[in-house]
Parts: sequence; structure tokens; C-alpha cells
Amino acid sequence: MKKILVIGAFSLLAIAVQAQNYYVYVTAESEDEVSVIKFDGKKAETIKTIPVGVWPAENEGPHGITIAPDGKHWYLSMAHGNPYGTLYKYETGSDELVGSVQLGLFPASMQISPVTGLLYCVNFNLHGDMVPSSVSVVDVETMTELTQITTGAMPHGSRLSSDGMKHYSVAMMSGELFEIDALNLKVLRTLDLDEASKMAGMDHSMMDHSTMDHSKMGEEKKTAPKMDGIDHSKMDHSKMDHSGMDMPAMKHSTFKPTWVSPHPSKNLVYVAGNGSNEVLEIDADTWKVTRKFVTDKGPYNIDLSPDGKRMVVSYKTAAKTGVWDLESGKELARIDNSQKVTHGVSISSDSKFAFVSVEGIGDDPGMVDVIDLTTNKLIDTAYLGKQAGGIAFWKIER
Amino acid sequence: MKNITRVLCMVALLFPLGLFAQKEIIIEPATLTMEVGQSKQLNAYVMENGKKLDEDVNIVSRARRALSIDSTKMAYAIAPGVHNIIAIAAGVRKDFTITVNYPALAEIKIEEIPEKIYAGTPIELKVKVIDKSGAVRDNVDVTFETKSATIANVDAFGMVNTMVPGKATITAKAEGISNTITVNVVKNPIVSIQLDAEGNEARTGDVFHFKAKALDKNGNEITDAPIYFSFNGKSDNVSQSASGLIKQDGRFVADEAGRYVITASCGVASASKTVKITAREVARKIELVGHGSVSDKHTSDFWVWEGVDGRDYAVTGTWGADGTAYFWDVTDPASIFKIDSVQVDARTVNDVKISEDGKICVISREGASNRKNGLVIIDVTNPRDVEILSTFDENMTGGVHNVFIDKGYVYALSGGQKYYAINIKDPRKPFAVSKFELDTPGHAIHDVWVEDGIAYSSNWGDGIQLVDVGNGIAGGSPENPKQFASYAYPNKANHAAFPFRSPSTGKFYVIGGDEIFPYGLNMEGPNMAGGYLHVIDFTDLDNPEEIARFEIPYAGSHNFWIEGETLYVAFYNGGVRVVDLSGELMGDLRKQGREIAWIIPNDPKGYVPNAPFTWGAQVHKGHVFYSDWNSGLWSAKVEPEKPKATKIQSK
Repeated sequence: MKKILVIGAFSLLAIAVQAQNYYVYVTAESEDEVSVIKFDGKKAETIKTIPVGVWPAENEGPHGITIAPDGKHWYLSMAHGNPYGTLYKYETGSDELVGSVQLGLFPASMQISPVTGLLYCVNFNLHGDMVPSSVSVVDVETMTELTQITTGAMPHGSRLSSDGMKHYSVAMMSGELFEIDALNLKVLRTLDLDEASKMAGMDHSMMDHSTMDHSKMGEEKKTAPKMDGIDHSKMDHSKMDHSGMDMPAMKHSTFKPTWVSPHPSKNLVYVAGNGSNEVLEIDADTWKVTRKFVTDKGPYNIDLSPDGKRMVVSYKTAAKTGVWDLESGKELARIDNSQKVTHGVSISSDSKFAFVSVEGIGDDPGMVDVIDLTTNKLIDTAYLGKQAGGIAFWKIER
Repeated sequence: MKNITRVLCMVALLFPLGLFAQKEIIIEPATLTMEVGQSKQLNAYVMENGKKLDEDVNIVSRARRALSIDSTKMAYAIAPGVHNIIAIAAGVRKDFTITVNYPALAEIKIEEIPEKIYAGTPIELKVKVIDKSGAVRDNVDVTFETKSATIANVDAFGMVNTMVPGKATITAKAEGISNTITVNVVKNPIVSIQLDAEGNEARTGDVFHFKAKALDKNGNEITDAPIYFSFNGKSDNVSQSASGLIKQDGRFVADEAGRYVITASCGVASASKTVKITAREVARKIELVGHGSVSDKHTSDFWVWEGVDGRDYAVTGTWGADGTAYFWDVTDPASIFKIDSVQVDARTVNDVKISEDGKICVISREGASNRKNGLVIIDVTNPRDVEILSTFDENMTGGVHNVFIDKGYVYALSGGQKYYAINIKDPRKPFAVSKFELDTPGHAIHDVWVEDGIAYSSNWGDGIQLVDVGNGIAGGSPENPKQFASYAYPNKANHAAFPFRSPSTGKFYVIGGDEIFPYGLNMEGPNMAGGYLHVIDFTDLDNPEEIARFEIPYAGSHNFWIEGETLYVAFYNGGVRVVDLSGELMGDLRKQGREIAWIIPNDPKGYVPNAPFTWGAQVHKGHVFYSDWNSGLWSAKVEPEKPKATKIQSK
């Protein structure tokens, strides 16, 4: 049995090596469009544009996009509704709309677990009050929202561990990393990323740790900030009525995490600190920072190559993309993007190319820069509607 | 070994269903039927090739407000029905159902039975079925019967017809329970009906107030007599039905020219009056005067004002573009030309407003590159050289969709959920002084308009909200807004609201507009909208009444303006519609012939050619100005109203 599986896997890899055309889906948030980008190894171009939304004279804001593990459907989060946003389900290839479900405020990034079959979408609530928001869990077969799991303020970056059993997201304003049991739909752990970043910045080699009391460190990290010591991770927030609350005291993170990506084969997660210009590598076993990568301004999204060798980070403020070697921890290249406001990253399944969406400003067209991860050079740029944002690699086709 | 594990993981990710196809989730009990309020422990485990695995299974309800399942797999039945449940373990799922029975019925209530019913007059039974959980059930068939048919009979819909004096028992039955009531039919003293009206001639759209009295043989009024109003008619147009609207308080309005017979009846006594209705004949010519073209981007809202130099100017926003607002000289409406522009970090400048003194302009920002939207305050003292004085984005990052300026304050929407009052008395140093936000679940807001110290906000499903921001009616101020009245209509589509104090009747109306797009999205060509204007009579603030509508078939309402007793409304693909609001309003205003004129801005050189999509309308110094999403700013002139005796030629 094992032999058959190994042979099968190698056959698949062999086929992948011969691949020629790469396809990604990318959203144009201020155009209410989704574009399909084709890249043939040299030239990238928009080959199809799909109008999305239902209101001609209102901007509904397609933000997050993801492809189902079986590649048969793509899912799109529309940020703006009255007031709640909507998740749409389309068939890949035909791009026909097949279903929708209303989620929370400003639903954003998302992913489907190949193991549970459920979709996990953060309700970013970008423009709401600084109160805890949630992760919506959706049964995509029936397009039913099963539950909303309360996390932190402005949750973003919704990614699953390689085994599909753990969900990770970060809360941009409360500065937390959340780990959710993807099966039992409960928050397992939280990490104060501002504290974690500070701790990682210390040179521990020169310190005398012998007199330190470590006993309370874990507790502190698991405690939601400035919440009078209440462990919110153990609370059921789903029935809370925040409507009458005025919660100005919630912490505004300086680390400002905007993304988290688990390693494809190791028990590590990588968190972008948009406000502190760093990426933290966190050991998911010890729940501690193991490495800190100092980046250019405004690291925003992260994707890791499926072979686990490269980390590609979009530097939103700097309008650049960083390519990192994960083993050495060195930044191999810092590539200028084609215009301002670098947004998302998606790496091809063969780990060869990174597709980077670049928003632009005003009526600039949206762009997708294609970066060769062997030469670390920008190869070509595809153009699409305004404010290119969410991006998802679809397939390699021969 | 490590490599093999990796490969296995990759295969597992590629073919998860295939890999785990032989796994199965077992649910115990296999079938489950529950009663409302009951809880039951479920058990679930994974079997593979006949072996029970030690793996977690989560059970999730797809209808968690009707049947919830907690983390211990305890199921709680909340509401009846067949509820879909999903059990999930690693790589395998099972869909099943749990049935929650409808509770047995507890009671059939029959409400508001009068103490006495005059023989010959009907009553309709008001029946409410309640089950043992206390829920009101509308999915139950109720049957009616009487054993006193000579006194009163009852039909299948609960309508009781009374014949002669006596006591009649009526029984309502449903699913094994029943309720029997006795109605007391008394001798009918009514021998005649006296029916009066203000006159017997009117135009379509004019509202009659019929007064009816039931009289006994001595001419005394029977004040508790149930009087029913109805009408029939014959239209002057042989292919048109004589439609209209009659209310049970005697108000009547006709849609068509013709003869109408209004009848007031009480049992066998009735009285009728015939009225002659003539066509309203308010149509006038409207002529296109000028056009300021914007053909490289969509145009949004606009405002026309008299500048401090006495000339006339306009500002227009842009939509889904580069954050530009244009300033125009419109002193000669036939020659509209751009004089300046500003560009801000935005993709949409959805709304633009000018202060009462013509010196300050506020524009809204959406789609800022740093996602921090807000508003921009501009000095327009010299509209040929406008100057940005300040920006304001505190609590506004979600985008400002609409704004209004009133007496040194800007009322600005924030994130589609609330609005803030912002003091701009020093326009270089704006600061927020208050906010207004509803506390209803999932509340949203689209627009706010301020007049006479009252803010009229449009809140989609929560309808029109009237808030005192300085009027004094509820003790409110800009710093302390106080809501004092509201009205929500069923389609949940309230997008705009405009107050109208009717000079000819003294009534206080608020007109609420829908925004609906039922025909989908067409980015390449013309779009069609839906929705209409709802006229709400707010004269009694505690009991607002939706009394009239203005609807254009296959077009939808957007922004509007009222001057005097005339409404100017943009109907997207239906262009600008000019509507007569004179007199009391009731019924279908368009069918009544209240439409004075219409004009559609069709531009073959538009951003989308030949795709009129009119955004808003405003009257300024006798001209109608209107902006169009695909073609910019336009002006038109409605022919002056002619003396009533003059024959008016229809458009």
C-alpha cells in the first residue's frame, strides 16, 4: 500500500514538473470583479474577468478568495453588505455562481480544511469598533454558516495547519494569534504578539535567567490584553451583545499582525507584524517565538512554498516583495513591485512562482506581479481592475 | 521514514476523501425524534473496517437557532421541524436529521368579539392558534362551524354573517382542540345610511373624505354600527379599469377619469354617492437645457449653489475612479463648464455637500489606498480655485457614504452603521461631537438628511429614523441627538428620506425611497433598478401611516428633492421624474396622473454609452439639475404651469 502511494506521489510530482501554464484567481476590490490570470512561464495576462456582486452603484468589495482543496470551486468573501458581508461559491472554470451565505462584518481571508471540509473565514470588521470579532465556520456543501467563533479585534489571515486540524488567525488591533481546533471549533490557544515580539527581541544569551519567575509567563500570554485578567479563550462569546458597549479601552497593537501562515510540513507558523516590520516564526508546539525576520516596511501577507523552502512576504507600505530562505533565515531578495500598495501572495503548487497582487492608488489598475522563485526576479505583470487584493493559486495546466 | 510521512501527507491533502473513504461516522441513536424543550445525549464515533477508532467527532447543527448541539454532543430542541445535522471527523462526514415534533396545540383564541352584533352585519373572526410551547402557529388549518345557522352562519375563512336576533354558537376546530364562542346577535335598528362628501367632482389623485352615519327609524345615529366602504366605477377609457383606493375611514382616491360610485353599507342599509373624476392634467413639457459631460468615469452625487460672488456653481463626485470631485460654473444652465477639481485619496467620492453660506464643501471618501477613509473639507469661496482645508477620518475609516451640512455641523455616515455629528465651525479643525447609532441586531444606515433641526436617516430594514439634532421637539441637539419617531416598511430597502410639509394640507410627510437591483448586474451595458418611493404620513408622530407610493415600472428610485409641492426624483434608468405633490396624498401617485414631466439623460458618448442611470436631482433657480452615473451633470427646464383654464397639451 505504502509503495503504491509513494509511486503515485512521485508520478504526480513528475507531471507537475512538465507544467506550462499557471492560473490564479485574484480579486479587484474597488471594481467588484474577479480576474483569472494565466501565466505561461514568461507572460502573465488576465484571460477572464468575472463581475461579482449585485449592486451596480454600490461597491461591495470582493476581498478574500480561496480555492477548494479539490479545485472544483472558488469562494469569494464580499466585504460590504447591510451591514453583513457575504460568502459566494463559484465553480472553477465556468465561474458560475452556485451558492452564497451571509457571514459577519467585512468577511475577509479564508481557507477550507481538506480534512473537515469546512471553510473558516475571518470577519475582519475593519471599520467597526474595537471589539472582538469572529471566525465564521461554513459548511460549503450546503453553504450554511455553522457558527462564529469569537477571537480578537480585526481578525485577519485565515490559514490551516498542514494536517487541516488547526486553524490560525491573527487579530490586527488586539495583537493576538489564535489557534482554533478545526474539528471541535474552539479556541485552543492565544498568543499576545506584542509581548512575543518584545521577548523575541531580547538577547537572552547575555541575561541571567536563574532568578526569573517563568511560572506566570504562559498565563500572561494566554490572557486577552487589558481585559482585567479574564481568560476569554475559555468563554463563549457567541451570545454576547456588544451593541450597547463602548469599549475604547481595548488595546491597539503596535505589532499589528495582519497574516499568519503555517509551515507546510513543520509545526511552525509565521506571523506578519505589519506595524513592527517583522515576521515572527512561532513554534506551534511550545507556542513561543523561535525566530524573528526583520522586513521592509509593512509586511502584510505571507505565503510559504509547498516545498517548505521559501517564504514570500508582501511589504505593503514599501511596495516590495521579500523572498526568504526559511532554512538560513536570510532574505534572498527584496523586489520592487510594479506600483504602490502590495497586497497578497500566492505561490504555485510546484513552488516555482510567487504571484503577488498589487492594489495601486485611486484609479490605478490592479496588478499581479509574477516572481520567479529560482532567480528571485520579477518576470511579468498582469493587469486587472482597481485594487487587486485577495489572490489564490488555482492550477497548473499542461 | 520522514520522507514517506511527508509524501503521505501530500497525498492526504490531495485526495483526502479517497484516503478516508472507508471510514464511517456512527451516530447513536441512529434516528432521533425530540419534543420542543427536550434535550438528548448523542454519541458519535468513527468506524473503519469494522473497528472503532479513537478519533474526535464533532456534531454541528445547521439550524442552531432551532436545534443546538453543545460540545458534549447534547442536543437541545428549540423549535419544531426537521433539522439538518453534520457530524465531522478527520476526513469523513455524515449528514443526518433530527426531527423535533410540533407541540400539540394548546388553545384557539378568538379575539375582539363585539358584545353585540346587529343582525344583518358581518364580522370577521380574528383567530390565533397557540401550541403548548406558547408559540403562535400559522401552519394549522382551522375549520369553523355553527349549530345556529338560522341566526348566524360562518364561512371557511371565519367570516360570520348574521341573520336574525339570537345567540349563536360558533366553534373553531384544529388538530383535536376547539373553542366555542357565543355571538350575541341583536335587532338591527339601522334603517338608513347618511353619506356625505366634500363634493362630487374632483381630479384623479384628489382625496375625498366620505362621512357615513347609520341612522335608526327616528333619525338618531347608531354610533357603534359597523360601516363598510366600497366603490365601483367606470373609466372614461374603455380599456382601463376604474381603479382607486378606499380606506375604511371613508377616504377615497381615484386613479382614472370616469364615474365612481362610493357605497357605505351596514347590513342591508346602504347609501351611495356618485362622483365624477376628471384627469389631473398636470403634465408639462420639460426641455433639456445643458450638459456638463463626464465621460471618462462614473459620476455620483452633486450639489448646486449660489456662490458668494452671486454666480451659480455645482460640485459633482465621481464613483469607482480616482477620487476626483469636479467644480462647475452653472450660471448659464445651457453652458455648464468645469472650473476646478480636487483629487483625494479615494476611489469613490460618493457624496458632496455645500454649506448654507456657500463657502464650505464637504466630500466623502471611500476606497482610500490606506483603507482610512473619511471626509474632506474644502474652501469653495472661490470655486475656481478651491482649497482643501482639512480632512477628518476619526471613526470614519470604514468609508463615508453620505454627508449633510447643517448650521456648522457635518452629519457623516461611518462604515454604513451610524452617523457622527462633526463640528466644522472652524473648518480647519473639525471634531466629532456625537454619534447616532441604532441598537437593533444587524443595523445598517445609508443616508442622512437634516432640515429644521431634524435628521432623517435611512436605515434599510430599520426604516426612516427621525432624530432631533436641534429642532427642540425631543430636546435634542447636535451634541445630544434624540430619536423621536420612526417608520420601517417590509421590503427593508430604505435608502433615502426627504421631509415634505404639505403647504396645501398642513400634513407632515416623509418620503422614503428604496434602492433595489432586482435585475442583476451588467457592467458592460445598461442596468435596470427596482424599488419605489413610499409616502409616510408622519402628522401623528406616534402613528405614522404609509399612505402613498410613486413607482416607475422597471426602474428604481434613488435620490430626490422637493421644492414647493413638486417632487424631483432620479429613477436610475428611468431618468428624472417630476411629480405633483399638491393636496392630500394617498394611493398610487403615478397611476393618478401626478407625473408632471420626465427626462432621461441618454448620452451616446457616455462612460457607458446610451446607458442612462440618473443619480439625483436638485432644483436651483428654476432649473432642474441632475447627475447621471454614466454621463455627468445635466440641466433641464420644466415649462411653467399654465392657468388652470388653459388646455394643456400632454407631453
